[in-house]
Amino acid sequence: MVSRMKEKFVRSVFFLTAFFAVIVVAFILLFLFRDGYSIFETVGVLNFLFGTIWAPAQVVPSYGISALIIGTLLVTFGAMVFAVPLSIGCAIYISELATPRVKSILKPATELLAGIPSVVYGFFGMIVLSTFIRITFNIPSGQTWLAGSILLGIMALPTIISVSEDAISSVPREYREGSLATGATRWQTISRVIVPAALSGIAAAIILGIGRAIGETMAVIMVTGNTAIIPNPVWNVLSSVRTLTGTLGIETGDVAVGSEHYHALFGVAVVLLLITLIINLSAVAILSHLRDGRGAGRAKRSWLHIPAFSPIKDKLLPYSRIVLLALIALMLLATGLWEVALIIILAAAVWHYGGDRISRRHIEIFAFGCVIAATVAVLAILAIILGYIIINGLPAISWDFLTQGPTDLGRSGGIFPAIIGTLYLVAGAILIALPLGVGAAVYLVEYTREGRITKLIRTGVDLLNGTPSIVFGLFGFAFLVLFLDIGVCLLAGMITLALMVLPTVIRTTEESLKNIPQSLREGSLALGATQWQTIKNVVIPPAIPGIVTGAILSIGRAAGETAPIMFVAVVFSTRFLPTSLFQPVMALPYHLFILSTNVPGSSTNKYGTALVLLMLVVAFYSVAILIRNHYARKARG
Amino acid sequence: MKTKRSSYVFVTVCLAALLIVSMLVAGCTSNGTTNSVPATASAAATAAPTAAPATATATATQTTSAAASSGQTLTLTGSTTVLPIAQAVADAYMQAHPDANIQVSGGGSGVGIQAIINQKVDIGMSSADVSAAQKAQDSNMNIITIAHDGIAIIVNPANTVQDISLDQVKGIYNGSVTSWSSLSGAGVPNSNNQIVLVGRDSSSGTRTYFDQVVMQNTNDSLSMHEDNSNGAVLQEVAQTPNAIGYISIGYLDNTVKALPIVTTNGHVIVPSVATVKDKTYPIHRDLYMITNGKPTGLANDYINFLLSPAGQQIVVAQGYVALNS
Repeated sequence: MVSRMKEKFVRSVFFLTAFFAVIVVAFILLFLFRDGYSIFETVGVLNFLFGTIWAPAQVVPSYGISALIIGTLLVTFGAMVFAVPLSIGCAIYISELATPRVKSILKPATELLAGIPSVVYGFFGMIVLSTFIRITFNIPSGQTWLAGSILLGIMALPTIISVSEDAISSVPREYREGSLATGATRWQTISRVIVPAALSGIAAAIILGIGRAIGETMAVIMVTGNTAIIPNPVWNVLSSVRTLTGTLGIETGDVAVGSEHYHALFGVAVVLLLITLIINLSAVAILSHLRDGRGAGRAKRSWLHIPAFSPIKDKLLPYSRIVLLALIALMLLATGLWEVALIIILAAAVWHYGGDRISRRHIEIFAFGCVIAATVAVLAILAIILGYIIINGLPAISWDFLTQGPTDLGRSGGIFPAIIGTLYLVAGAILIALPLGVGAAVYLVEYTREGRITKLIRTGVDLLNGTPSIVFGLFGFAFLVLFLDIGVCLLAGMITLALMVLPTVIRTTEESLKNIPQSLREGSLALGATQWQTIKNVVIPPAIPGIVTGAILSIGRAAGETAPIMFVAVVFSTRFLPTSLFQPVMALPYHLFILSTNVPGSSTNKYGTALVLLMLVVAFYSVAILIRNHYARKARG
Repeated sequence: MKTKRSSYVFVTVCLAALLIVSMLVAGCTSNGTTNSVPATASAAATAAPTAAPATATATATQTTSAAASSGQTLTLTGSTTVLPIAQAVADAYMQAHPDANIQVSGGGSGVGIQAIINQKVDIGMSSADVSAAQKAQDSNMNIITIAHDGIAIIVNPANTVQDISLDQVKGIYNGSVTSWSSLSGAGVPNSNNQIVLVGRDSSSGTRTYFDQVVMQNTNDSLSMHEDNSNGAVLQEVAQTPNAIGYISIGYLDNTVKALPIVTTNGHVIVPSVATVKDKTYPIHRDLYMITNGKPTGLANDYINFLLSPAGQQIVVAQGYVALNS
């Protein structure tokens, strides 16, 4: 009797942890709407969405966000133009061409790219990339749409590579063998059989990459110039632009609470959240379609099948490639790279009219050359960024730098409080997120069958996963700092970061629980163990490596984030370590942001901070990757 | 089973490695603070004569510092123009008083004033006058002028421009002048001379003041790049040959060229401490610290130190203009 009560109690605790994600999403929406609502009322929804002038500081303030929305879309589109060919090429190389040894180096390398904190990318972009663009194109300012797109493209690379590599690798072997047996070359097999078969997975990868790019804040602030205008002409990639996230990042920290401007910023956050929700839900829909389709011959069904549209689609499909090429050519023309545009158009024409006459072998060599070039480019990007920061940062590193507090606004002295502050923040975040996340995953895997409630919970987790980090920051500011009135402090930062990494913990835990063979559970239950005993003693212990991996990945992510904590937990400089949870702290990513944007003449310390932050995050990621690889090997052998 | 055990060993080793690293870092904690206290104390002894007994108290405060720091915390938030003064004064004050913990944050003048109204900080910093509406929200507001400042118009050193009038600045910032070649003597060699406008974000006190005095409350061009601090404007102008920007004179350094202003009666006035002091430089203003009611405790000591001759010397050392001198 007692044990049954206990079982029920345990079950409801797990249910609560799982439902927590849904509650958080509801709260985020509620608080953003609560603070954003009044701007829709005073300005009007249509004026707000379609007004072209965002000028809160003008004599008569104007709050129209269409320029910001267009800026966001343009930067994201540019990022995809840059990232998609590179990452698909790289994914093809990793899954189809690379030897196992090369593969074992390449995969972790691309994953490290994911570990570089966005403020480090921004720092690199601000100093190196924008100057490079200014000089290359001989334009007045390098802070442009192009710079933002390249940077966001780089940041989206790892997401797209890893998801599409998974999709390509999971195409059944029979497809390859069948195609090769009919006499097709390897390239024909890849381009005509394997990639089409993996297309839904690749599409989902691209959409996830789009979600990553749209939600990015810090890197965008630092390189796009933040001019709230629509580029003129609209394909002018050398114009400076401003995104929704950038507006939030720049203006939220500085706005008077309760003013019209404040409400307008929350209105911007609502719009941003809705855009990312749509994008992420469609990615989820595609991925789940992929999962369903895998059982019953899925080759034929297109992933977005709307009967009424299919004739139109069939008609449009042949043109879509031309339209895309034309767009890219236009963009290149706008940048003054008309030679490149010409080459692309010529190549397309040659392909269209003379494609059949070129021998299959030459095509294959050319195609493999492109694929390898893409891979080399990705590695080169990684090497350039890491090399630049290591070379410039090493001279700054000294014992004093690591162990002293900052003086003179961080120009001299060290970064000790920032290192410790960051460690405190991530430790607190993981202490909060780990029990909640593991509990939620246990509930989802062990206690329920798929039903309406699990679907709701999963959707909640997916939405949380896609929420831009700056929106977490805004929510933490509105809810924790202002509404609960705990002020800008360590605790608020921990909670905000915990919410942000919660989906990662849930996902990775779920995966590792699912990999535990069903027979173990059945054996335990058959011996008379209760469900809780089974979970505690049989299911969780072998899943621990997976859970640890997820936790470390989350720690790495939390350590590198700036946007969520900049309004809720940090100060420029403080001398002592915090002695309670209700004091603000310094944090490495924020310190780097401040040094590189606010404090002139801090160059050595700036690079040193970037290097320390990079090393910290990369160390966390490397440990996670090591543990995972170790287990993958164990599972196979 | 054996493979499983070795996996556990592996995970344990990895975790242990992480632990050791964090222990090492934590080890630096104790070393760091014990090392740093004598260091700051001796520095204070040489730097500030008022801290003569510092060496003697250093050993005593070493043990009390942890306890005292929680009781003696002062927070400042607001204008990035006032920030360097606040931080330098805080550094000096903390050298003399090793148990005091002063936390300084930026944000902008709007944030500083708002934080005082909401009673979120001990001292708010502002480079803009507090508006009547803001005063009405907090009848206790106590505004203290701590220094004078000028706003310098800056360009990249590559620009050949020698001086500029406020009307020209206004024309540039409202978007009617877009090329350096339309200003006599101005130009950037090897470029198309197109002006890159750099300004501040919408809640900056510097922007508010610039919009009032220079723009005379007309609108800034929408193509202005918006940066959220003096430092960011300085850096962008230093990096961009065609740029123009405006920053507090306290931030001026040799990476940019500060333009003398041509007044309506033909005088050419260089932005400097001297011209701001005698108010001949046209874009000058006061800098404020704001408290809720009369400051008490550490806040009071801090502000008194700032207003003392030693504190005002720091104001001068940071490139701003001291009071009543």
